[in-house]
Amino acid sequence: MDFGYMIYALPRLLPGLWVTIEVSAISLALALIIGVTLGASRSFMTMRNPLAWPLDGYVWLVRCTPIIVQIYAAYLLLPKAGIRLDAFWVGVIALTFNSVGYQIEIARAAIQSVGKGQLEASLSLGLSQRQAVWLVIMPQALKRMIPGITNEMSHLVKASSVLSVITVLELHKVASNLQIQSFKFLELLALQALLYLPLILGMSRLASYLEHNVFAFEGTRPHTEEVR
Amino acid sequence: MTGLSLDVMLDILPKMLHAAWVTIEICALTIVFSVAMGFLLATVRLLGGRVSSTAVLCFVEFTRGVPQLVQIALIYFALPRLGLFLNEFWTGVTALTFIGAGYAVEIIRGAVQSLDNGQRENAVALGLSERQALFLVLYPQAIRRTLPPLTNELANVVKASALLSVISVNELMHVSHAIIFEEFIVYEVLIELAVLYVVIIGCLVALSRYLEERAKA
Repeated sequence: MDFGYMIYALPRLLPGLWVTIEVSAISLALALIIGVTLGASRSFMTMRNPLAWPLDGYVWLVRCTPIIVQIYAAYLLLPKAGIRLDAFWVGVIALTFNSVGYQIEIARAAIQSVGKGQLEASLSLGLSQRQAVWLVIMPQALKRMIPGITNEMSHLVKASSVLSVITVLELHKVASNLQIQSFKFLELLALQALLYLPLILGMSRLASYLEHNVFAFEGTRPHTEEVR
Repeated sequence: MTGLSLDVMLDILPKMLHAAWVTIEICALTIVFSVAMGFLLATVRLLGGRVSSTAVLCFVEFTRGVPQLVQIALIYFALPRLGLFLNEFWTGVTALTFIGAGYAVEIIRGAVQSLDNGQRENAVALGLSERQALFLVLYPQAIRRTLPPLTNELANVVKASALLSVISVNELMHVSHAIIFEEFIVYEVLIELAVLYVVIIGCLVALSRYLEERAKA
């Protein structure tokens, strides 16, 4: 290991790390909005709804093809459809497309895991359907979504490394460019591991913090002490 | 822009199927090796002393915290330095095993620890050693619970195998990439690529759904 080279390379990798953070953060934000909305709507649909089939098909397609295929598909098909973007935004679109598929499932599972009795009880207490969904079901479902979504967050950061194949200058691409110049493979790979690990470990810490402190209300335990 | 050509699709199909077979081979080997290694490391994690189980924990955190692409590059460049000269196929299998084992360890450990603690205590009270308790009492029960998450993880391994294209393993993605950029056939290749992956992974996902239903019952 050449530590002198590692100290030389570190500042040159930081812009790449920043692009990795940017591309993952933008995709996460977009995918969160679209995915949770679609997942929530899907969970209140029956299979008779004409929108349920295409949504399920989309989720199936995303979950059953590798991310590298989706990235190449976006890279090759968007220009054919007349949409010319630079590699960064193609990457954002590909990652968002991928992440929405998973987040629909996360949101749907979380909402459906809240007991049906909750909805029925709220309706019988005189709440409207909308009030029941927003005031009773969603707060409990959001809490259950947190582990899934933070998991998805770290998946997204890791998936962003695959954007190197369509020349997005994120951490892995910057590092492989340096590799080709210097042939210091192990040093650069160790540096990448050092930069990715805290990012992803930090996110799983954030997840458990959110789970235990911010969303720590007991929405799921039956309040037996109030039954007289 | 020209429409889809069925002739072209049929023309490239044998190449694609051959590549799909390589993908299946890689995944089958990886699945066997990573489950075996997962059990081995989970045993170390559950029975080993503080040093060895911390070492396994570090391995798990590494495989889960570093992107798969980086791990594949690491194995690709590190193995020759260690004096191991494997061809791309076996380098790929090694890299995927490395990735898969990290997840398998946690799934197996989670399943063992989700068992009632009384099981282990009873086994030990009846005179079994810790090792006997693990292999004869806990693992047989835990295997049932590991099946659904393991198949799920194996579907991820198949998806990760597409990343091996960057180290020029001749699997499905690499072959498609070559056809796209050498012969400029885009739609036909992408459609066949997606269909082949959906078939392979769809089978695994359906299997995982089925096992989950059965585990519930």
